[in-house]
Amino acid sequence: MINRGITKSVSFFKIIYCLLAILILYFAFLPVLSVVFSSIFAQGRGISFQDIAHALKYLKNSLIVTIPVTFAATALGTVVAFTLQRLRFRGNQLLKLLALLPLINPPFVGSLAFIMLFGKRGLITNKLLGLTISPYGLAGIITMQVLSLTSLAYILVSSSIKRVDPSLEEAARNLGSSSGRILSTVTLPLMLPEISSTALLVFLASMADFGTPLIIGGNFQTLASDLYIQITGLYDIHMAAVSGLFLLLPCLLAFVVHRYYLHQKYYSSSNIVSENIEFKQMPRPLKAVLTIITMLFTGVVVLKYGFIVIGAFTKQWGYNYSFTLQHLTGALTADLRPFINSIRLALIVALVSAILGVFLAYILKRNQPTAAGIIDFMATLPAAVPGILFGIGYLVTFKHPFLGIGKWVFPDAKPLVLLGTSSIIYFVCIARYLNVGLKSGYALLAHLDPNMEKASYNLGENEVRTFFRVTLPLLKPAFYTTFLKNFSTTMTTLGAIIFLLIPSNKVAVQQIFQRITGSEIGVAAAMGVLLSATSLVLLGIFYLLFNYQEIIKKMRSRGSWD
Amino acid sequence: MLKKLISSVLLLILVAALTACTPSSAPDAGLDNSEGNTLWSSEHYDADKMKGLSLNLYGVTDKVRPILDIFEQDTGIRVEHLTMKNGEILQRLENEYEAGVSIADLWFTGGADTFINAAEKGLLTGYQTPAAEVLDADMKDPDGFWHGTSLTLVNWVVNTALIEEKGLKMPEEWNDLLQDGLKDEVSMSNPASSGTAYNVITSVLQTKGEDNGWIYLEELIEQVPFFTARGSDPKNLVVNGEAIVGINASNGDFEVEKEYEHIKIVYPSDGTGWWPQPVAIVKGTQKLDAAKVFVDWLISKRGMQVVAEKRYAAVARGDIEIPEGIVDIKNIELFPADFKAGAQNRESILAEWARRVDK
Repeated sequence: MINRGITKSVSFFKIIYCLLAILILYFAFLPVLSVVFSSIFAQGRGISFQDIAHALKYLKNSLIVTIPVTFAATALGTVVAFTLQRLRFRGNQLLKLLALLPLINPPFVGSLAFIMLFGKRGLITNKLLGLTISPYGLAGIITMQVLSLTSLAYILVSSSIKRVDPSLEEAARNLGSSSGRILSTVTLPLMLPEISSTALLVFLASMADFGTPLIIGGNFQTLASDLYIQITGLYDIHMAAVSGLFLLLPCLLAFVVHRYYLHQKYYSSSNIVSENIEFKQMPRPLKAVLTIITMLFTGVVVLKYGFIVIGAFTKQWGYNYSFTLQHLTGALTADLRPFINSIRLALIVALVSAILGVFLAYILKRNQPTAAGIIDFMATLPAAVPGILFGIGYLVTFKHPFLGIGKWVFPDAKPLVLLGTSSIIYFVCIARYLNVGLKSGYALLAHLDPNMEKASYNLGENEVRTFFRVTLPLLKPAFYTTFLKNFSTTMTTLGAIIFLLIPSNKVAVQQIFQRITGSEIGVAAAMGVLLSATSLVLLGIFYLLFNYQEIIKKMRSRGSWD
Repeated sequence: MLKKLISSVLLLILVAALTACTPSSAPDAGLDNSEGNTLWSSEHYDADKMKGLSLNLYGVTDKVRPILDIFEQDTGIRVEHLTMKNGEILQRLENEYEAGVSIADLWFTGGADTFINAAEKGLLTGYQTPAAEVLDADMKDPDGFWHGTSLTLVNWVVNTALIEEKGLKMPEEWNDLLQDGLKDEVSMSNPASSGTAYNVITSVLQTKGEDNGWIYLEELIEQVPFFTARGSDPKNLVVNGEAIVGINASNGDFEVEKEYEHIKIVYPSDGTGWWPQPVAIVKGTQKLDAAKVFVDWLISKRGMQVVAEKRYAAVARGDIEIPEGIVDIKNIELFPADFKAGAQNRESILAEWARRVDK
């Protein structure tokens, strides 16, 4: 009886695994492969030296931006995370909340706020300090990217700080180490793997960012923005393909190096999640410096966001600060369908990518199926590919019938061409964010005691039932985190879908992008605020839904819910 | 109990988000319907068959939306639009043609050079609308691949607050852009990626002659701190005060001027560049008849009137009343334009330009 149950369940997981593997091969890996091949063999014209020289020039620009941004944002993010999570000071909780603001970043509008605050005629630089400096160029791009990516780094590093086992620090302290020594020999090394993967993500995000250089780069453009200009302004798809290849290579290189050399093991193996544990005996001057840095950073973030809100509600952002609702009503009376499309896209993408990602993590870790390493690699790969390139990959792959393979089999079959349908943007986003679920799944499974499942088998349950009744409830937290994260990311994503949208399925971000280009900055700011507010409210609702049991418990224990 | 309640709320939100379909914004009733319908006709129009039909349109501006809404009011045909840059539209059409996928039926607004380019690549369907008989020859393609609807005029967006603050001469003619106080304060887009800047260069070369033209352009280059990627950037820079004069292109409207107190739009007194904003039917459309109806309607007196009023545009037809707030092109000195020549010499002109910028 028991034997039969196990064979049945094994084939159940095998079938699911095969299906997932095919989907991943198809929707995550093939498009990346297509970009590489179409770049090399584009339009039957080889790559000339001139093309390479052009691409190298912009690659150099990209690296000039990305390398300092990666170091600065990762370091600053780590400092902020450490200060907020491990040090106690007045206002700590508030700052924690504020540092999360960029999670719901209204896209592109931030760069505008920056120009109006620090530009040639900016509110702070010119009106307050009397300076006339142009913010356009390298310095502007680096500043903007450091600001937004520090927040990303802060969020990523924070979660790893919580997993550092404070008893190790305690042990070092008992053995007589000074707090500086503990910091440099225990705490930081424990966080190092997470810091290095944070640095990788910051690097990739900075390389892929085309909006910031486009808006405030002036004559300093990076490979990603040059790629966008090549396609939209110069009509030169061939040059774009070569630039794409040069953009892809460093990203893949960083991804592979990190995967196989840096990211060897996590030290945070204990089950303890150390929330709100203070790092004791920090020397006062150091604590003061860290606190000031953190406060300055959150101050700038708040300034930026406050200024965007001001822009949304004043007549002429930058010139006439009298209150008006005209931009908001303008944004609301315009076609609202892009907003609804955005929400629908984010909901479905978050749901599917969270379920599939966490499920796949479970199969790969617990069942150790054939080719687990390869499938994991293919599923994670899209994270390394700049969004705009991943979108182009979809374009070149799925313009052929029968989901791409028809190029060779049924070249004339019209049906099942994914390009030009409204579903293609769902596929591209799910494929791109699946890895988030995979990663959260792994992180959680590392902490889950397999004995729970063994106990279930011993009590006579088969693998499928065990999965659904024991493992699945335990995996819920990973699912929730992925859902929330992917929801907020998808709401503001543009690069991957910009070339795949069709007239009937526009999304809100694209509308904001258009407004900024058309110098309707008031409406753009209002739409940005609206989009952020919508995400914030929905995220709040989801958070309550996912955690309501705990919240009720907490309230009960405080006696305010009886 | 609470659990059930909360899950049903989640379900509700999901369902609401998934099924919600806001009705399109109600078309403006400002233009009288019954009168308007006598001003257009199309032999391809079949009210019963085409009611509820939906066409897809690519364009470079969201401002076409009110026009499309009135078209729907008149004909019952819905037009969905997607806004992109010129080059992106061209790329998409090529891609879709190659893939045999028909997404766009129509293409409305953009630079004439991209339409000429697309026609040469065989991406457009030729259709000679009877409505276009009254159009000037340089407002339409001889084979009907595209028809001009309105004019795009090159102009300057000037930040008057800064002109006053710095005590500069308000620019009136092209040479005024070379005054000392405007050093690093003139904004212009990169002619390689922007039709506006390219048109300025060809216009200057055509009117001043090759030699004098390049001498002028070299001096102009000195005034510009950097060349922006997109044609719309200079306007934004001037609005933000990052530059004082921006070389811009618009419909002949004064919208930016109305919106911002410190901005004035200037049409250079010694002549300016222009090009038509065309409409075209995309090759491979499955709804050819409905697409023809759109072109017939747009080029008709009715359509042109709507374009003039809704886009504040100087339109292609001469028999339309010019609404308030639009320049009368009779008062503007237009450079002679040879779009085909401009399109053919593109590479050599851009190479020459790049050589002078790098100097």
